[in-house]
Amino acid sequence: MSKNRVSRRQFLNYTLTGVGGFMAAGMLMPMVRFAVDPVLKANASGDYIATNVKVADITNEPQRVDFTFDQVDAWYESEVTGTAWVFKNDEGKIVALSPVCKHLGCTVDWNADKQNPNRFFCPCHYGLYEKDGTNVPNTPPLAPLDVYPYQEKDGILYLGKAQPREGA
Amino acid sequence: MKWSPADIEKFMKASEYIDTAVVPLLPVSLGDDMKETASMTDFANILSSQLERQLQGRILLLPGYSYFKNTAQESMALLQKWETQLMDRQFRHVFYVTSDIDWKQREGQLKGTLLWLPSLPLHQMDEGSKVSVMEDQVRQLMNLFISKWREEE
Repeated sequence: MSKNRVSRRQFLNYTLTGVGGFMAAGMLMPMVRFAVDPVLKANASGDYIATNVKVADITNEPQRVDFTFDQVDAWYESEVTGTAWVFKNDEGKIVALSPVCKHLGCTVDWNADKQNPNRFFCPCHYGLYEKDGTNVPNTPPLAPLDVYPYQEKDGILYLGKAQPREGA
Repeated sequence: MKWSPADIEKFMKASEYIDTAVVPLLPVSLGDDMKETASMTDFANILSSQLERQLQGRILLLPGYSYFKNTAQESMALLQKWETQLMDRQFRHVFYVTSDIDWKQREGQLKGTLLWLPSLPLHQMDEGSKVSVMEDQVRQLMNLFISKWREEE
């Protein structure tokens, strides 16, 4: 037997320190990960989603633009298709309108009703919106269509999250 | 609107605007046509949920009516009871969405409108074509709903 053999007390100390260290690390590591997470995540485009439309192709006539993104909804992760009506207004600025009717959420269509040309029309309760998205008085909707903020990157149109506007 | 608490809350607030019920008819079988009925169920479910997305302001999408395919008589009797309950309330239009041909043959026994579409082999398609095929179907069905609503006025 050598002189400097490990005593029972030392052995227990080492073991406890080791196990305790592991446990502390196990608790601290996720916390650190949570703390730095926003830093790792931030990227230039933020929540803007790329569409398949070139900015140069946008005309004065509203066109349907579909874009897909992943949506996590509790335990479902699904690929969701969003739609926007995109056109250039009289000043040449791009406008991207949400197709969701402000009344009860049906999908509005451009120029779909023969009696109301050049307006957005909701087939459910015959709601109407002007081209710029303002609701036509005396139809069911009480607010204008939501507007998507947009960005242009490499000539491609990027859309953000639809924003509501004040009622007319 | 879907059969979910959040949507039903909306439904209660705006119930005078919702006069249409949609019931997907979903066959179940444990025999040789097990897979076939599964794809019929899948198709009817996807189709009706896409319809609901487009026309949610006027539609209440009920949870699917599932039934054993070999008890046709009983399933018809029970569905007729569903229909009476729905039509006694505010639902002036009841639509059934299904891929099961059996219903088509007995369509006359129902007061509501039966939408029968042959099911497509969706599980063999890739994501992109799946979505565009369904969108196309939904767009055509939507017109049927809209013209049915128009008839009424």
